[in-house]
Amino acid sequence: MIRQCLKCRAVPVLQQSARAYSIFPTPLDSEEKEMLHRIVRVDHAGEYGANRIYAGQMAVLGRSKTGPLIQEMWDQEKKHLQKFNEILSENRVRPTALLPLWNIAGFALGASTALLGKEGAMACTVAVEESISAHYNSQIRALMEKDPERYTELLQVIKEFRDDEIEHHDTGLEHDAEMVPGYWLMKNVIQLGCKVAIYVSQRV
Amino acid sequence: MAALLRGLRAGRTLRGLSSVVAAPSAVNPQCSSLNRGFHRAALRLQDEYKSDKPPSSSSSSSSSSTTYHEHYQAHSAEHDTAAEASQHDSASDPSAEQPERPNTSYQDQSGEHGEEYETEEQLQSRILTAALEFVPLHGWSMEAIAAGAETLGLSSASTGMFYNGAGDLVLHFIAHCNSQLTEILAEQHKQVQLGQTEPKKTADFLREAVETRLRMYIPYIETWPQAMSILLLPHNIPDCLKHLSSMVDDIWYYAGDRSTDMNWYTKRAVLTGIYNTTELVMLQDSSPDFQDTWSFLDNRIQDVVNMASSAKQVQSTGEAVVQGLMGAAVTLKNLTGLNQRR
Repeated sequence: MIRQCLKCRAVPVLQQSARAYSIFPTPLDSEEKEMLHRIVRVDHAGEYGANRIYAGQMAVLGRSKTGPLIQEMWDQEKKHLQKFNEILSENRVRPTALLPLWNIAGFALGASTALLGKEGAMACTVAVEESISAHYNSQIRALMEKDPERYTELLQVIKEFRDDEIEHHDTGLEHDAEMVPGYWLMKNVIQLGCKVAIYVSQRV
Repeated sequence: MAALLRGLRAGRTLRGLSSVVAAPSAVNPQCSSLNRGFHRAALRLQDEYKSDKPPSSSSSSSSSSTTYHEHYQAHSAEHDTAAEASQHDSASDPSAEQPERPNTSYQDQSGEHGEEYETEEQLQSRILTAALEFVPLHGWSMEAIAAGAETLGLSSASTGMFYNGAGDLVLHFIAHCNSQLTEILAEQHKQVQLGQTEPKKTADFLREAVETRLRMYIPYIETWPQAMSILLLPHNIPDCLKHLSSMVDDIWYYAGDRSTDMNWYTKRAVLTGIYNTTELVMLQDSSPDFQDTWSFLDNRIQDVVNMASSAKQVQSTGEAVVQGLMGAAVTLKNLTGLNQRR
């Protein structure tokens, strides 16, 4: 049942992709431009990293019975990445220079946690998705504080993605994420890494 | 009564002045903002004096204090209606080399926003544009700026506004060239979108864009080495790099680059290299119409195209080799019987 819900959420995202150019209002001054560019840059980096994490997990667990589940979550992340690619290129936002680093680090994280088994992979998913949804929430708060009407479409996109990430988080919990030994330690280390990655990707 | 009101208004401005003074003024950039604050307050004072009189009156009344003020009034009286719309529209001057600041901070306190009100950035850019024609004579220097100010009817002491001196002039010129280039590229882009022209191949597009941009230097080519050395001064380097990177970004955007990964960086780095080397070649080129420079540019772009295609070839060869090796490994395993357990 959850999977059906996941699939039916995919349609509105595809319909929106034809209008990527209007997601972003034209910035009024350099401060707003800086803020919007940072938001898009870090979100793009985040989706790219999440993509690589799932790729790493699939490389190890692809042929096991959790394969289809991870594949499904990965497909959703791919759609998110595609959306942010469109927003980034149409609005001439510079992608973060650390993308190769996130490429390697993400794949390594996904693969190494998947080596701990299905529970390890799920724990990694839970930690990362929790970080990402907290990050999206703070962006939504910041945009709402500034001017909800101006950023309506951007807010809509971020809210939709945040809901998807929370679903991934819940899926991870359902599939015994907390059973992995050292769950607390792993979760906190991964979340700390995510915070650093977010901070750095906004600026570099 | 009117004098009393005038005095009150002047008092309010002076209080504004003093609050600007009271702001912490430790470092250079803050000092320059302080000075800018002074200038704005001075302009505001002029505005208030101006708004007290009917706009069409001559400048012979008593309150004018400086020559600049008189000329400003004369100019504003002439350009009353014509300048109205244009001043409003050009409130945020794109070619100003100073960092963008919102203009709202010095709209008149009584709400009388003079329609002919010109921002400081606009005035500076007018002076610098006028100064450009004196560059072949005086070089990139304060003399050129002073001469430019004089053609606008301002005193040559108005060069005091330019803290960076010749650097301001060079940066203004570069910003002006960049915006011209962007206009040309946008126009071409529109033509292609409308289907009126065929899109060019990337190599040709880049070549034409760089050539168009470098041709803008031709009138100033004798003094350009001086300009380049001014740009290399440490306090000018950040602005120079900013202009260069935005120009290269513009060219790639209109060339159709929509990459979202490391290619974004490599493409821009490559084009920056091509542009800089071609500029240097142009400085010592003495061929008719700089033919040598354009053929140098051609060759560099060809190099890049060749490198890109050979990189692709290497990659596909590499992939084929890897596949061949994997096939050989599987064959070996079959032959030695290691595959049988599966």
